[in-house]
Amino acid sequence: MLKIGISGVRGIVGPSMTPTLVMDFASAFGAFVDRKPVVLARDTRVHGPMLRAACVSALLSSGCDVIDLGICPSPILQKTVRRVKAGGGLAVTAGHNDIQWNALTFIGPDGASLNPFQGQEVLDLYHLRDFEKAATDGLGRLSTPPESSFIDPYFDDLRAFVDADSVRQARFKVVIDACAGAAAPYLRRFAEALGFDLIPINDEPNGFFPHDPEPRPRNAAQTVSVVRAIGAEAGFLLSSDAGRVSLVSETTEALSEEFTFPLIADAILSRRCGPVITTYSTSRMIEDVARAHHCPLSRTRVGPAHVFLAVGQDDAVLAGEGSGAVAAPAFQPAFDAFLSMALVLETMARSGKRLSALVGQLPRYHIVKEKIYCPASRLHGVIGGLAKAFHGRDIDTGDGLRAEDKDGWVQVRASGTEPMLRIIAEDKSRDRARAKVDKILQTVEQMI
Amino acid sequence: MKKNATLKISISGARGIVGESLTPQLAATLAQAFGTYVGGGPVLVGRDARPSGIMLSEAVTAGLLSVGCRPVDVGILPIPSFLFLTKATKSAGGIAVTASHNPKQWNGLKFISRNGLYLNPLQTEEYLDIYHQAAFDFTPPAKYKNVQVRADAGEAHLRRLLDRFGSAAVKRRGFKVAIDCNNGAGAPLAPRFLRELGCEVVPLYCEPNGEFAHDPEPTPENIPDVCAAVKSTGADIGFVQDADADRLAVVDEKGRPIGEELTLVLAARHVLSRRKGSIVCNLSSTRALDDIARACGVKLFRTKIGEINVVEKLLSAKPKAVIGGEGNGGVIDPEIHPCRDSFAAMGLILEALAAGRRPVSTLVSSLPRYVLIKDRIEGSAERAHRLIALLKKRYEKAGSVSLLDGLKVDFPDHWIHIRPSNTEPIIRILAEAKTAAGARKALATLKSEIAVNLKKL
Repeated sequence: MLKIGISGVRGIVGPSMTPTLVMDFASAFGAFVDRKPVVLARDTRVHGPMLRAACVSALLSSGCDVIDLGICPSPILQKTVRRVKAGGGLAVTAGHNDIQWNALTFIGPDGASLNPFQGQEVLDLYHLRDFEKAATDGLGRLSTPPESSFIDPYFDDLRAFVDADSVRQARFKVVIDACAGAAAPYLRRFAEALGFDLIPINDEPNGFFPHDPEPRPRNAAQTVSVVRAIGAEAGFLLSSDAGRVSLVSETTEALSEEFTFPLIADAILSRRCGPVITTYSTSRMIEDVARAHHCPLSRTRVGPAHVFLAVGQDDAVLAGEGSGAVAAPAFQPAFDAFLSMALVLETMARSGKRLSALVGQLPRYHIVKEKIYCPASRLHGVIGGLAKAFHGRDIDTGDGLRAEDKDGWVQVRASGTEPMLRIIAEDKSRDRARAKVDKILQTVEQMI
Repeated sequence: MKKNATLKISISGARGIVGESLTPQLAATLAQAFGTYVGGGPVLVGRDARPSGIMLSEAVTAGLLSVGCRPVDVGILPIPSFLFLTKATKSAGGIAVTASHNPKQWNGLKFISRNGLYLNPLQTEEYLDIYHQAAFDFTPPAKYKNVQVRADAGEAHLRRLLDRFGSAAVKRRGFKVAIDCNNGAGAPLAPRFLRELGCEVVPLYCEPNGEFAHDPEPTPENIPDVCAAVKSTGADIGFVQDADADRLAVVDEKGRPIGEELTLVLAARHVLSRRKGSIVCNLSSTRALDDIARACGVKLFRTKIGEINVVEKLLSAKPKAVIGGEGNGGVIDPEIHPCRDSFAAMGLILEALAAGRRPVSTLVSSLPRYVLIKDRIEGSAERAHRLIALLKKRYEKAGSVSLLDGLKVDFPDHWIHIRPSNTEPIIRILAEAKTAAGARKALATLKSEIAVNLKKL
C-alpha cells in the first residue's frame, strides 16, 4: 500500500515502503534543496528509525548536512527549519494514520509544507532518478543538537504569542492525550510554558498507540474518563505528529474535531483581521465566525500543500481544516496543535467561559463523514460518474464534487492518503446529512 | 578499452567509490539481503573512521530494520574488535562499513557470520542469491525492532587481549612504543591497549576522524612519520595500523620499517618458540615462513588469497594451527579470535621483545630474509584469467605450478605469483627472491611474458 503524490510518500511499511524507496524520495528532496541543510524529525512509530536512517543516509549522500531532532512534533520541526534558516525539513510521520503507516512529509525553507508546485518538482526529481551523489569530500554531516536548542526557542515563541499570563492565572486543570506520539516527551514543557495543571495520558513516546492517532470523538474514551474523574476544565487529543487536536469539554463531551478550528478562530481574528483559508470539506461554522469579523473566507482542496499555497497567495491570517488542524501564519505557516491548545485555553481564560459554553455559542451543524474503498485507478472515474447524482445542482469541482443548499452541503472526494472516497455532508438536520451521504454511498456501491 | 568496474561485490564483501558506485540504495539493499540471510536477530553495525562511514552505516541500519533485524550500533571500531564482539555477544551477524587499506574515496561493506568470521565463499553465494533475486523478508510494521547503541563496544576485545598479553614479562620492561593509527579505526583503542601493557606511548594520528595522515597502505614508503618519531623519541619500537586495524607494520628501534612481510614471520617465530603447531598463510606470503616452519619442525599450509580462506584452513588444520596470517602484516592469533588482528600482533611482538631481551633490529636480523616485490597492472578478473591460461602454458615446465589462486610458480631460488584482485579491478603481480636483484629480475621476466601474452588476448 503506497501513495505517492505532491505531499510526499505515504504507505504501509513493508514490501512497498522500503528503505530504497525512502532513500529515493529523500534523495529527490536533497536535490530539491540543493545541498542546503535539512532538519529531520520523526514521530514515535516503531518503524520510524528505519525511515530516519534511510533519510539520513540519502541526504548525506546528496551533500546535505542533516540536523536530526529525533522524536519531535512536526510544528516544532517546522519552526526550527525557519529559525536555523535550513534548506528544508523532512518529517517522518503519518500523522493521524494508524500504526502500520508511515510517511515522509517535506517542509520548505519557510517552514510550511511544500506547495503543489514545489511538491511536483520533488516528484519530478524522484521520477527522473538522477540523484546527486556527493563524493567523499562533499558528503553532508550529521548533527544531533541538544533538545533545549530547539524546544526552548519554540515554547518561548509560543508563550510570547499567546496571552500566557491570563492562562496562568486561570490555573486550569487540563488532560492531554499524546497517543504515545511525538508530543509525548514535551507535554510537561508545554504545561510549564503556559502554567496550567497537566494530567498527561499516553505520554510514553514508545509508538505503541493505545488507539488510532486520529483526534476525533471515537478515540476519546480515555480522555473523557480522566476529565470526568479529576474534574478537568478541558481535554485534548493529539495526532501522532501534534499537527491536529480535538477537544473534550468539562462536561465530558467528546467534541467533533470540526469544533477546534471555529473555536479558536475568534482568538486569532481578534488579533488581526484578514483572509481566512479553509478546505471544501470543512464545516460551515467557520463561515459564521469569519463573517462576524468581516474577514473574507476562501476554500481550497484538502491538504496542507493547497492550504498553505493559498495562505501565501492571500496573505491569510488564519487557516484550518475540519480535521482539527489550525494554523496562525503570524506564529508560523504550519498546522500546530500546541498553538491550538494554547489558544483554546487563552479563549477560556480571557472570556471566563467554560469550554462547553464556548462551543454552545457556535452555530450547530451536523456533519456526517464516511469513507468507502475504491481502487486508486478508478477514484476519479467514479467521481466523474457521480456527477449525475448531483443532478441539476450547482457543482463546485475544486476538490471532487461539492454542492451547497440552503441548510448545508455535500461533498465527495478522493482521499489524499488512501485509496478511499470520502463522502461528507453537513446540514442543520442530522437526518438530512445522513440521507445525503447514504444516497451517494449507494450510488458508489452500485458503480464498483 | 572496456571500462573498469568501480564496484566489486565478491567474497571480500562489497567495495566501491562513494559518489559513484557505492550508494545508500545499494548499501541498504545489500543489508536487506544479509538480514534476510541471517533470518533476523541482533546484527552489529560498525565502521572504520572514513568520513563516508556514517552515510553508509545509516543505510545499512535502514536495510536491516526493514527485514526485522535489530541493528546494534557499535560506532567506529577496529575490525578485529568487531569480529570478536559479534561472536562474544552471540549476535546473528555483523556488517562492517570499511574499505580497509583502500584510498579515502572508497568504502565498502564486510559481512560477518554469527561465529565472528567473514562469510565464506559458500555462504557468500547463498547470501548473494538473495540479493540478486531481491527475495527480501520485509517485516510487517508491528514486528519492527529498534536500534541499540553500544558505547563500550571495544571493551570485550581489549579485556581478552589483556588476559593474554598483560603478563608481568611485558609490563616489567616498560617499553617505549610509537603508534601510528593513521586516524583510523584503531584509534583510540591502540594507545589504551599499549598503556595497559605498561608501555610509554608516543601517539601519532590517533584521532579516529578518517582523515588519513598518509596513504592507508602501511608499506615502508608511507610511514616516514612514525620512523622519525621512533628516532627522535628513542622508542623501542614503532607500530602502524591500517585503516581498520587488522594489519600491522613494524618499525625497529633505529626507525627503519622492517617490511610488512616480516610482521607475521616475527610473530610466528615467537608463538612457535612457546608452542608447536601448524602455520597457515596464503599463497603470496613470504618463503621465510616455510623456513621457520622447517626449523621448528611444524607444518605450513598455504591457501587462496582472502582472509576467510586462511581462517577456515586455520580452524581445520591438523595438527592444530597455532598461528596464521598474511604477508601484508595480517597476523591471526587463534587464542584471541580467528581473524587478522593488529592488537594481537602487537601483543605477540612485544612478548617476543620482552623474551629476547634484544632490540627489534637484532630480532629481525636473525629472521630468514627474502625480498618481495609487489606490482600491479590495470585489468579485470576476466582479463587476468585469460592471461593466466596463456602464462600457465609458458611456465608449466619451468617450475612447480599452482593454480589455486591465479598462477603461482615456485622455482628453487624464487617464486612469482599473478592473480586478479578480489577488491579492485587490477591484476596483482608478485615476485620474491633471496636478493633484491633476483626479485627484480624475476618480476621483469614475468612482466615481459605478460606483455607478450597480452597481445594475444
